[in-house]
Amino acid sequence: MVKFLKPNKAVIVLQGRYAGRKAVIVKSFDEGTRDRPYGHCLVAGIKKYPSKVIRKDSAKKTAKKSRVKCFVKLVNYQHLMPTRYTLDVDLKDAISVDALQTKDKKVAACKATKARLEERFKTGKNRWFFTKLRF
Amino acid sequence: MKLSKFYVCLDFRALIAYGATEPSVAAAVPPCPPLSQPTTMVASKKTKKTHESINNRLALVMKSGKYTLGYKTVLKSLRSSKGKLIIIANNCPPLRKSEIEYYAMLCKVGVHHYNGNNVDLGTACGKYFRVCCLSIIEPGDSDIIKSMPGDH
Repeated sequence: MVKFLKPNKAVIVLQGRYAGRKAVIVKSFDEGTRDRPYGHCLVAGIKKYPSKVIRKDSAKKTAKKSRVKCFVKLVNYQHLMPTRYTLDVDLKDAISVDALQTKDKKVAACKATKARLEERFKTGKNRWFFTKLRF
Repeated sequence: MKLSKFYVCLDFRALIAYGATEPSVAAAVPPCPPLSQPTTMVASKKTKKTHESINNRLALVMKSGKYTLGYKTVLKSLRSSKGKLIIIANNCPPLRKSEIEYYAMLCKVGVHHYNGNNVDLGTACGKYFRVCCLSIIEPGDSDIIKSMPGDH
């Protein structure tokens, strides 16, 4: 009786090209819209996880290994597996639904989320989110 | 390897086990309760009377309340936080059972493990088909929600 598909919830995408990737809900549309008459949400996820960084690595190598590639997508609720984790990253100003209309807006949105997620990864918090799901 | 929900959900058992080390789990979400206790010992103690009372309550819900039958609609009702009580048959596949329990844990909704298989549960609902899981949306005149959720 508690709504759990809320912004900042970590979810796993189940279908499509990004199946198996972890993502975070940015905005949810429970009632759907005219174009998508079902419950769906805007998620920002990780396309390419950062590699494992070890102590021996030089600064240049650490920087290269900590890169995160992101995607932004509108996904049906049915194609998501919610988890009990949350990710408190402020992505609302970077991503909006109209960012998905044109290619260059989408690229700009992805770049903004990439920056935010990379800095979050570097702090060492939310480690579960940045590890690849093994299946 | 092609991802199927099966394999993803296999790992969400690891999600449940993993959790103790995750530092930034939101405080609002309670720690996951232990997976369903084996009911073999309880089943022998559980008398026929309580089993019948569940059936009676369920019949009352069917008559006067709102419910949905079936896995897909149960998940839908949980996502939209309309479900108030979930009932799962005992021969539900364990992966599906765990998945429904996980959703119910996120929702803080009670899950009742029905003492019978999907054929029995379908009969208890007054239907001529098998029912593996059902979700009660409005109990109507029944008190099933007040009396049942003590059982995990």
